[in-house]
Amino acid sequence: MGAINSIEELEAYRRELAAAAKPDLPTVLVCFGTGCQAHGSRRVAEAFMEAIKEQGLQVDVNIGFKTTGCHGYCENGPLVVLRPQDILYLKVRPEDVPEIVEESIKGGRIVERLVYRDKVTDEVVPHYSEIPFYKHQHRIALRHIGTIDPTSIDDYILVGGYAGLAKALTMKPEDIISEVERSGLRGRGGAGFPTGTKWRSCAAVESDVRYVMCNGDEGDPGAFMDRSIMEGDPHAVIEGMIIGAYAVGSHQGYIYVRDEYPLAVRNLTLALEAAREKGLLGENILGTGFSFDIKISRGGGAFVCGESSALMRSVEGNVGEPRAKYIRSVERGLYNKPTVLNNVETWANVPEIILKGAEWYASMGTEGSKGTKVFSLVGKVNNTGLVEVPMGISIRELVENIGGGVLGGKKFKAVQTGGPSGGCIPERLADLPIDFDSLTKAGSMMGSGGIIVMDEDTCMVDVAKYFTGFLVEESCGKCTPCRDGLPRMLDLLTEITEGRGREEHVAMLEELCDLLTWGALCGLGTSAANPVLSTIKYFREEYEAHIRDKKCPAGVCKALITYSIDPEACTGCRLCAKNCPQNCITGKRKEAHVIDTSKCIKCGVCKDVCKFDAVRIS
Amino acid sequence: MEKISVVIDGRTFEAEKDYCVLEVARQNGIHIPSLCYNSEVTSSGGSCRVCLVEAHQRGRMRLVTACNFPVRKGLEIKTDTPLVRRIRRGVLELLLARVPDSEVIREMAAAEGVTGVRFRKDEGENERYKCIACALCTNVCAEVVGVHAIAMVGRGADKKPATPYNKPSDVCIGCGACAYACPTGAIQLKEENGVRHIWHKDFKMVRCSVCGTPYIPEAQVDWIVKRTGKDRSFFDKCPDHR
Repeated sequence: MGAINSIEELEAYRRELAAAAKPDLPTVLVCFGTGCQAHGSRRVAEAFMEAIKEQGLQVDVNIGFKTTGCHGYCENGPLVVLRPQDILYLKVRPEDVPEIVEESIKGGRIVERLVYRDKVTDEVVPHYSEIPFYKHQHRIALRHIGTIDPTSIDDYILVGGYAGLAKALTMKPEDIISEVERSGLRGRGGAGFPTGTKWRSCAAVESDVRYVMCNGDEGDPGAFMDRSIMEGDPHAVIEGMIIGAYAVGSHQGYIYVRDEYPLAVRNLTLALEAAREKGLLGENILGTGFSFDIKISRGGGAFVCGESSALMRSVEGNVGEPRAKYIRSVERGLYNKPTVLNNVETWANVPEIILKGAEWYASMGTEGSKGTKVFSLVGKVNNTGLVEVPMGISIRELVENIGGGVLGGKKFKAVQTGGPSGGCIPERLADLPIDFDSLTKAGSMMGSGGIIVMDEDTCMVDVAKYFTGFLVEESCGKCTPCRDGLPRMLDLLTEITEGRGREEHVAMLEELCDLLTWGALCGLGTSAANPVLSTIKYFREEYEAHIRDKKCPAGVCKALITYSIDPEACTGCRLCAKNCPQNCITGKRKEAHVIDTSKCIKCGVCKDVCKFDAVRIS
Repeated sequence: MEKISVVIDGRTFEAEKDYCVLEVARQNGIHIPSLCYNSEVTSSGGSCRVCLVEAHQRGRMRLVTACNFPVRKGLEIKTDTPLVRRIRRGVLELLLARVPDSEVIREMAAAEGVTGVRFRKDEGENERYKCIACALCTNVCAEVVGVHAIAMVGRGADKKPATPYNKPSDVCIGCGACAYACPTGAIQLKEENGVRHIWHKDFKMVRCSVCGTPYIPEAQVDWIVKRTGKDRSFFDKCPDHR
């Protein structure tokens, strides 16, 4: 079918699709997110297609087949969901496919070895929605991901896609802005600026041209919610942008995607083409007379290009460097024209807010942070991946209920939130609700929504050094505090972790942090002090142990630890001696072994291989 | 131009709206140190952070760079508070650690009471031994001269102005505006036997027909003639003998 010429026609088209759909039809959903594809989901999908084709002749089972976006549970990929039974199979290999077809699709039985098994209770949970990782989630931005085929606009329209746009086009632009304001939606890119306020300011500036932009740069290591949305539900982003453009009076939009996200670029490109073909994008959208189109701009992957003003410079074809935002982008942004720039996740929320109303959205979350947020939960936790939960959920709930607790039964020490320039929050504050304001108050930030769980084996000085090192590499080098201050911070942290720390180093670090916070040019520079400041604030005793006692309490900093073998626990199995690359472990079979510390390079292999926990770090 | 009143260090001044704080302060004899600002370059400023001042507006205070913060109604600026001095000293200590050989930075730091550096110093006489990476040279080249012969290359502490691939540039006219604009004298410009050397390239100079002094690169004359349509014979004499 060609262009849809009116709102009524869109509804009619949706009814047509619904009539043709067979919800009871067995459906195999194979995740085609980047993570699952890396695990070989393409071959799994091919195996399904083959098996279905072969057996389709013999059995009268008609099977719908889809490839979907990321389900967020990437470490267990490739993921396969069977509908309507709602079974989730993990780590599916092509050789498992005939069994799944035979047992589950034809026989209606569960292949137990492929379903989720709780690491703590050992309970088997075959149904998608019952798995703890999914049970506690509330998905709005991720609402369609994993259930629809991102390359099919019909799939999106069938589940209610573009209905938000249809509704918006019957409203006055002013009323859309009010709706977004009342929803309490704040920018999901990290800074948390109220979205409605931004739109209103932009709409108020007199100008012949306005731009609407989507920030899909996502440079934080470990964060992939934006990628997942762009790959798995590109139309949600596009629909949000069209609504925003209509609200502020823009006719041209840009999606800035880092070039490291080829699948996102591909799916967005396909989605834009499909939307144009259907008359949902371009000239005279849905016959309402409103015109708006979107271009994709690919970024070279510099961390700083996620910063709004640097991003705009990059789209213009210049080197991506931030500028002082004394004149805001809503007044003078891209090509010096009023510009609304929102993050991928923010845009994906917009159609649902328009469709279901501000009150519905504002009923979730906390006083100052409404709605839900997608987090990327990683680190020393049993279940890792993307999760969407209402704002205000406590750190502990997130780590324990959804994350399934700390890996290997170790002690939970801290979480790092907000990406490289976020901060570390200690376990004793784990009941803190996760929202924009409480994270900032605790010395961290929401940032992209990355949450790294740390256990007792994490050295907080080393963590601060790691993130500062990342920021040194990624500093654009435009302003003095960030360009020259961060390397000096890294110097001091290196001295401390290598046992050359002096008493005054902590104060010097604090001074440099102060300089960055007050003196750096852009948001990345001013927040770059967070990893150091928060670890000094909550784990000062670890800094002191490194400096005063020349000890690393977590046993991480190589210069400050020595390995030894506990003669009581050692069984003399010789495994450590066999694996030691320095051959510095000696001892007879069945007798306690000894490490020659003068030759030891502290690689930790002995500790890793020891089955009797006899290798000690001091 | 709309005139507004702005308060700087407790005194009220009339100023043209949207002028930067630094200009207004200087017009009124208030000293704010700066390095990367040049009034001829609209995109300059904001990077060295030496001119940070307190801006009080609508009950909110923040540090802003005087060189590109526009004056607005109801703005109060404080240029000499404990916070301003602390951050300025910090910035200068970092610059001094970066370019310990720069006289300009040493003097400016000393004026703020910074005499030593507690951090690792970058080695002197290296490739960027006086460069503070403020980008004034590249901004002047692009905006004032209009040739884009140099640009800031790389990022972080290694960021520096350079010609493409560090090779002699096709478009450089040897005018030396970058060297004259540089606040620390980091750009090497040498002249010998009627030849100017800058950015890995030699430029033959035009000699004054009166005094015989080589005074302008031929490439620069070509550029000016091309851009302005000025008669080439104008450049036969140096400014002193015109």
